[in-house]
Amino acid sequence: MGKKGARNFFVWGTVICTAVFIWLTIDTHTTIPKRTNTDKLTDEVVLGKRVWHKYNCNDCHTILGIGGYYSPDVTKTYSVRGETWLKAFLKNPATPDPERRKMPNLNLSEDEIKKLVAFFKWVDAIDTNQWPPKPITVAKKTGVPLKETTLTLMGKNIYNQNRCDLCHMIGGKGGLIGPDLSHVGKQRDPEWLVKQIKDPKSHNPNTQMPAYAQFSEEEIQALISFLAGLK
Amino acid sequence: MIYESQKVATKYFVISAIFFGLQVIVGLLLAAKYIWPDPFIGFLPFNTARAIHTNLLVVWMIFGFMGGTYYIVPEESGTELFSKRLANIQFYLLLLGGLVGVVGFLFGWTAGRPLLELPVELKWAVVIVALIFIFNVFFTMIRTKKWTAIQGMLLGGIVMLAIMWLFGIPFFKNLTLDYYYWWWVIHLWVEGAWELIAASLMAFVMLKITNVDRQVIEKWLYVEVALVLITGIIGTGHHYYWIGTPNYWLWWGGIFSALEPLPILFMVFDTLNHVRHRKLEVTNRLALYWAVGCAIFHFIGAGVWGMIHTLPQVNRWTHGTQVTASHGHMAFFGAYAMMILTVIYYALPKLKGLEQFNQKRGFWAFWITTTCMMIIGLAFGAAGLIQSYMQRGLGIEFLTVQGFMRPWFMGVFFAGLGFFIGVIIYVIDVLSLAMKRSQ
Repeated sequence: MGKKGARNFFVWGTVICTAVFIWLTIDTHTTIPKRTNTDKLTDEVVLGKRVWHKYNCNDCHTILGIGGYYSPDVTKTYSVRGETWLKAFLKNPATPDPERRKMPNLNLSEDEIKKLVAFFKWVDAIDTNQWPPKPITVAKKTGVPLKETTLTLMGKNIYNQNRCDLCHMIGGKGGLIGPDLSHVGKQRDPEWLVKQIKDPKSHNPNTQMPAYAQFSEEEIQALISFLAGLK
Repeated sequence: MIYESQKVATKYFVISAIFFGLQVIVGLLLAAKYIWPDPFIGFLPFNTARAIHTNLLVVWMIFGFMGGTYYIVPEESGTELFSKRLANIQFYLLLLGGLVGVVGFLFGWTAGRPLLELPVELKWAVVIVALIFIFNVFFTMIRTKKWTAIQGMLLGGIVMLAIMWLFGIPFFKNLTLDYYYWWWVIHLWVEGAWELIAASLMAFVMLKITNVDRQVIEKWLYVEVALVLITGIIGTGHHYYWIGTPNYWLWWGGIFSALEPLPILFMVFDTLNHVRHRKLEVTNRLALYWAVGCAIFHFIGAGVWGMIHTLPQVNRWTHGTQVTASHGHMAFFGAYAMMILTVIYYALPKLKGLEQFNQKRGFWAFWITTTCMMIIGLAFGAAGLIQSYMQRGLGIEFLTVQGFMRPWFMGVFFAGLGFFIGVIIYVIDVLSLAMKRSQ
């Protein structure tokens, strides 16, 4: 091949590939409404996306797997964490563990949090061709209370709102700093649990767990009924 | 150097080198944040630091490309620059824009899109700078008596660079479309426009240091760039696997990006071939080392590492992990950083009229930076494999897995310190060459 042949190869190769790429782009556009549920792309979601940009969240967190790798991917955060957890976390992301990677408190307003969560909810439903993939092995599903009552549900909410899962694991979900609570109802009696929550140092003076003395009696009872049911 | 106006390139090279140094400092801070509980979180949180790290990279590379272009175009076109004054004005505008951008990040002035964090006002300012640059280059080139492939390819590259940038400016309501066109900037820059610029700058340097027949060099330039674009344009599809776009992209993206190492392999052979058939005794051995090193590192980091990572079956598990960081660091260093350093080490002594110059420092910089970057890439890669396996494969929580990756981030950090030493040597070398009196 001479220089002229090389030039023709360059010109035609580029032209054809560009044409194919544009054709694929046009076709992709026709699939977007269904794959991303554009009918649910409300103004609130768009405003939530603006909040996402305003605080440059994307340079720590990935979304659709793109962005900073410093913090967890948020594509499926809505279905994994749930609305209550997200709202509580965004309001105050502080963690009791000094060694743990921190998210700064961005002092988001209630309104901003609401919009951001709406954005996450919309993102959660995007058809991502099954990404992120389901793990090859899934931790055995345990950690469901034997009986679900209003009291255990309230306890579960308290557990989530106070983000006990940052340190503790239940049924394979949660942190590794504190002990696994999947079977805590079998291992500890309720009195012990009450004391541990109100004053953890009474059991182990070196523990990292913060005291939750601010809980009302009712909240403690709810939490205990939830934990005691984990057998 | 033949033409007086080529001298304008010197200041571009100097700023390019200094920003490179700054970029690495911020990079060290980022690595430290992975290891110790977030130093400077209040003043410089991870997201701001990352924005600065990546934007400094883009800015120093653009300075390098522009400096290289201003050096090469007069010589290729056989004329002085259309306007030396415009080239100077454009330099200060770009410098100002870069500094305002970085300081703006510190105060939270950002568009909040990764790598395209520059606020929209500054993005338009960049367009103006790019237009001045293209204008100046174009009106220099049309004075030429004979159009060369190097000229055409270079002009094509900078025009494509400017056009793709426009897709990064608007606000998209739909996140999927946002990322669809985000890649038109990011991917079609690094695997399109930048490759055109890099290949033509490299062809010029090879032509000059080996004195191989121009017909041969230009023929290969066409073949390589053709293959880059044929594989690279549709290869954009390897970013469209999981962002909400149809699953036929798994085929288009997978097949075309599997072919992407091909042009880079050609470049390696072709570079080595030119060196073997050189018709000149190479006096600037340093530039030659950077050029050959660039071809090889480009092939490993962008070609092999990139190809493995973009196979859909692999990417499903590695997407969004430190494997991408590993590939990104090796590819950028191999394909672009080393290319710009080749151009600078070729052009700067010429600009000063030096037939011989002390290459000792340059060789230290070469061996230290290449070795350390290889270690950085491998350490990121190991961290990424742990992450892919534990987090994606076993379903263990993100932050728990990060703890297991810590030793490898230590590797990144300490190799990064070594890399920084190499870069300091390089910056000192560039400054001392630039400050030499012309002979």
